[in-house]
Amino acid sequence: MKLRHALMGAACTLALAPAAFAERGSDGQVNIIYWQAPSTMNPYLSGGTKELEAASLVLEPLARYNQDGSMVPWLVESIPTVENGGVSADLTSITWKLKPGLKWADGSPVTSKDVKFSWEYCTAEGGGCAQSEKYNDVANVETPDELTVIVRFSVPKPFPYGPFVGAQAPILQAAQFAECMGPKAPECTDANFYPQGTGPFTVSDFRPNDVIQLIANPNYRDPAKPAFATVTFKGGGDATAAGRSVLETGEFDYAWNLQLAPDVLAGMQAAGKGEIISGFGTLVERIMVNFTDPSPDLGDRRATVDHPHPFLTDIAVRKALSMAIDRELLTEIGYGDAGRPTCNVLPAPEIYKSSANDACLVQDIEGAKKVLDDAGWVPGADGVRVKDGVRLSLLFQSSTNAVRQDFQALIKQWWSEIGVETELRNIDASVFFGGDPGSPDTFQKFFADVEMYANNFDGTDPEAYMANWECSQIPSPETQWQGNNMPRYCSDEYDALVAEMATTGDINERARLAKSMNDMLMQDYAIIPLVDRGRVSAHSNTLGGVVLNTWDSELWNAADWYRIK
Amino acid sequence: MFDAPPKKLVEVSGLKMHFPIHAGLLQRRVGEVRAVDDVSFDIFEGETLGLVGESGCGKSTCGRAILRLYDITAGSIRIDGEEIGQTSQHALRPRRPKMQMVFQDPQASLNPRMSVARIIGEPLDEHTDLSRPQKLERIYELMDAVGLNRNFANRYPHEFSGGQRQRIGIARALALNPKFIVCDEPIAALDVSIQAQVVNLLEDLQDRFGLTYLFISHDLSMVRHIADRVAVMYLGKVAELAPRDALYATPLHPYTQALLSAVPEPDPSIENRRTHIILTGDVPSPANPPQGCNFCTRCPKVMEMCHHLDPVMREVQPGHFVACHLHDPEHAKTAGQTAAPEATKSIQQGD
Amino acid sequence: MFTYTIRRLLIAIPTLLFISLIIFMVVTLAPSDPTANLPLSIPSEVRAQIRASLGLDEPIWVRYLLWLRQFFWYEPLHMLDSAFGWSLATPDMQRILSWQTRSPVADLIVQRMPQTLWVVGTSYVVGVLIALPIGIISAYRQYSWFDQVGTFVSMVGFSVPTFFTGVLLIVVFSVQLGWFPSIYDTTHQVRDFGSFLFQVKQMIMPVAVLALYNAAQISRFMRASMLDNLNQDYVRTARAKGMSERVVVLVHVLRNSMIPVVTVIALGVPTVFGGAIITEQVFKVNGLGQLLIIAIQGGDVPTVQTLTFIFAVLIVLFNLIADILYGLLDPRIRYD
Ligand SMILES: Nc1ncnc2c1ncn2[C@@H]1O[C@H](COP(=O)(O)OP(=O)(O)OP(=O)(O)O)[C@@H](O)[C@H]1O
Ligand SMILES: [Mg+2]
Repeated sequence: MKLRHALMGAACTLALAPAAFAERGSDGQVNIIYWQAPSTMNPYLSGGTKELEAASLVLEPLARYNQDGSMVPWLVESIPTVENGGVSADLTSITWKLKPGLKWADGSPVTSKDVKFSWEYCTAEGGGCAQSEKYNDVANVETPDELTVIVRFSVPKPFPYGPFVGAQAPILQAAQFAECMGPKAPECTDANFYPQGTGPFTVSDFRPNDVIQLIANPNYRDPAKPAFATVTFKGGGDATAAGRSVLETGEFDYAWNLQLAPDVLAGMQAAGKGEIISGFGTLVERIMVNFTDPSPDLGDRRATVDHPHPFLTDIAVRKALSMAIDRELLTEIGYGDAGRPTCNVLPAPEIYKSSANDACLVQDIEGAKKVLDDAGWVPGADGVRVKDGVRLSLLFQSSTNAVRQDFQALIKQWWSEIGVETELRNIDASVFFGGDPGSPDTFQKFFADVEMYANNFDGTDPEAYMANWECSQIPSPETQWQGNNMPRYCSDEYDALVAEMATTGDINERARLAKSMNDMLMQDYAIIPLVDRGRVSAHSNTLGGVVLNTWDSELWNAADWYRIK
Repeated sequence: MFDAPPKKLVEVSGLKMHFPIHAGLLQRRVGEVRAVDDVSFDIFEGETLGLVGESGCGKSTCGRAILRLYDITAGSIRIDGEEIGQTSQHALRPRRPKMQMVFQDPQASLNPRMSVARIIGEPLDEHTDLSRPQKLERIYELMDAVGLNRNFANRYPHEFSGGQRQRIGIARALALNPKFIVCDEPIAALDVSIQAQVVNLLEDLQDRFGLTYLFISHDLSMVRHIADRVAVMYLGKVAELAPRDALYATPLHPYTQALLSAVPEPDPSIENRRTHIILTGDVPSPANPPQGCNFCTRCPKVMEMCHHLDPVMREVQPGHFVACHLHDPEHAKTAGQTAAPEATKSIQQGD
Repeated sequence: MFTYTIRRLLIAIPTLLFISLIIFMVVTLAPSDPTANLPLSIPSEVRAQIRASLGLDEPIWVRYLLWLRQFFWYEPLHMLDSAFGWSLATPDMQRILSWQTRSPVADLIVQRMPQTLWVVGTSYVVGVLIALPIGIISAYRQYSWFDQVGTFVSMVGFSVPTFFTGVLLIVVFSVQLGWFPSIYDTTHQVRDFGSFLFQVKQMIMPVAVLALYNAAQISRFMRASMLDNLNQDYVRTARAKGMSERVVVLVHVLRNSMIPVVTVIALGVPTVFGGAIITEQVFKVNGLGQLLIIAIQGGDVPTVQTLTFIFAVLIVLFNLIADILYGLLDPRIRYD
């Protein structure tokens, strides 16, 4: 082990060596392919991952996450904390200090005004800013001098790193976007396609949903970087073609998010032109259990807390459903190396990861049967268990997607083995995830007994994510079916933990709270986690400096990329 | 007519035209349609030979084959003393002006995208070196000859009536001063009132230009009117060939007799007294003709030998040829003597 | 002919308005949501704000009338402005904006046009150029081996989907042989011979795939039409006239056979503008076809609506052109 590390270290130093002496633009061109094409360079107007990542070559936040999920200062001197005085003791303000001498690509200086402007831009009325959640509870942003930014919150913020942190909340140039506030935002096509940035590259040609060409930012803060003079960022096609272009034909240097069958990827890598890299974040494929009755007979009140579910309110049933699943097999079939079985809805970062639920990793059909037997669910004539005239018959919905339908079929099989009948349904993703309150098929309405999808959270702090399962987050007709608490889980104890976390600043204490919330959800079987899904990307053998980062944009360190000669 | 023996303009012997049949997945050749199967006859200069027979018996094919619009399967064709049976299409082209054709369907035989002037004038471009005004003059001349208004020269075929169209077809055929014209049912597609006009036109032109016609028709009365001699075809073969009057007066072949008996008489008193010989059965397919005499399946006087022996064409009376076992010399002694009077009797009955 | 054309154009106006309404209804009422593809980490309140900023909370008929006004009034003004440097359009005359890119749909279309015309257009031309001689020879030599091979190839071209032939070509010529790029570079500009050569190289595979498909269709059509005419009496007439075989086939038969083929070719032209959705995806040509499919996937109603409506206009227009061509080519048809 040690030897291997040592060798790898040596290799890294060797590989890094030429980069150290490189001068800006000396490595020519780098080609990046994203099989989903970015439609704008302004992440505030899109919110899509592809747009965030493309924009991250140009636009930068004050601080971001590195590959380990640790926050690193980016445009600032250091990360403000309570300890270093950057965060006020009452947790209601945070003070950022910009690095001196920062310049926009056009040569003008970066000032605290730009930072403040970015907040104003995203929170302006009528702009439809996709990242406005990052600026929740921001009461004011003050700019006492050119380099100092003070963010004041209306409530204590134990985790004050929402605004201006991560690829979702970068800094825009005030001068460029001043005329683009609110409803005028979409009209500023030039600004949205050619934003001034502080990042290593700057856009020279933007073709929405097709290709972006960038050149090295002449005013980038490190005079030796980036090593590449130009970037071609091609979008479109499919993951297979993207993987092929890096791993087999070598036309491209970096391909993003290769969600492909494990054997297909292995076959491509065998061509020897590139390397597959993977990393894990917080994305978990899970089954949500509906605590309310989705029966159409209930009319307007179906799937609301007015009507508890006839049998999923019985913890024995939920537990048996979870026990019957072979997560190992699902992972192998669906994701290969890009997935790992998980028993937590909060699988990372490391300090938040609970090990209290790991028993679920082993499938236990017999155990599941026993749980049901003990709870009085006895198999009927057709093998489906019944109790007090209630049959264990489920409607299982998910979005249309080959892997998900494979999972549904397997799970249906396992559930039938324990005497639970399952009807499968899949819904087009744009409808299922589309928030159209008129459609009965959205995942929020949850007009089914169980549903499967994947979700994660931005950055590393789980506070908002864990708050998804507060009672107040339950979607209902009163909230136009908005809200994130799909299981309609409601526990005072859980809500208390959420409230406590909202006021706790200490990181270890926060970790304990997050873990106990996770464990509560898991041990109540409100959510049945299946697979912790990683990110798989590929880079060519001649592209050096790539560090896969699942906590921020994958292109976060493109300034450090170089050509291996 | 002079006493000198008339000159043979067209000599056809042993003419065969078989069309291949393609079938199956790969469209392989699986058989053939014997549309014309061993046909021989001559046409004298200046005469009109009528060619009659039921639909599908191969009349058109025969006419086209003689003009070498097909590459024939076998046989020899001499026109004006020149053998053209096996000549290549390329070598034929300079000879085409001599022999022309008037088609059955005047509408279909005219290129819909060409004006009348072009249709008539096109062969002039190909075969003469007349100047433009000369050509135009010739076109007008021809239009006059067939009775078409000169002003119509720039019209398209669809703008004419059926009779006018056939006149265009005739004018076109005449353009190069042919000696021999095959008229393939030139009036079949026309109104009865116009038929006579066209036939008269053809006769008139024959007189003026000394043309020789092969006049194909299934209309026996029209043939009787125009033809000097008549050939009767059945299933790809000539059954009987005779001068017109002889044929209509004393048909020898049972098929001819049947055909003639079907011709309506204008005089109802005669019409009522006639017996009609009704042929039973369908015409066999030319792809699969019967063994022996090809009429044996429907012949009212069929004999044992007809089923295996194909009768040869014999000159039974001077200029009167027939292909029927009833008229075989060895047969004539026995059956022939009974058959011939019988044949006359049926005609007499019809009188 | 002129009055006929004018009359047809006038009839086209209500037809197209009706089509635009239908398209609008279908696109709008279809269950789709422009925010559906956003990461789930974006909360629903934010999604609601985004939808509101897209104008989705207006009633349907308001959105339709707005679109009509934008398409028929604002966009032409903007186009005139940019063409002649005028300033007819006032700033409040909002152009039709794509929901995905937030940029004018017209700009997107202009941007996509070159690659679509290059690739799909070339393939159409190449397809036609291959198809005509193949169809003519196949018919002229019916049942010959040439005809049999032609039939087989067009059957293959017709029935094998382009995503299969496309990927096959990529695997053979890009992955194995490395001759051609597997990903089309839309930013490539032809400046000199070298860059022209590159353009040819990157076009070869998509053009080949599409041309095969087009050629298969058109050659069958050409063959059938030739066969129809070859057996016509007028062809025999032409032969009887002693015209050379070349004149018979090329002047008499071909010209008549071309009448229906030309109309079919004309009717196929709008599909060129429609792009070849699948082939564009396979080769990453990112033309109009890809624009449409991405817009559909992204619930981008203005883009889908505008594109499909433009296609509808083209189809109506080329139907008219086909009819007029028919009239010009065939003296039997007169429209007055
Ligand atoms: N090109 C061809 N290929 C195959 N068979 C043919 C072809 N032309 C004619 N035949 C066949 O040859 C036979 C004779 O046809 P033909 O046209 O000579 O008949 P016809 O006596 O002129 O009939 P009609 O009085 O109806 O014009 C028919 O059975 C026809 O089907
Ligand atoms: Mg005929």
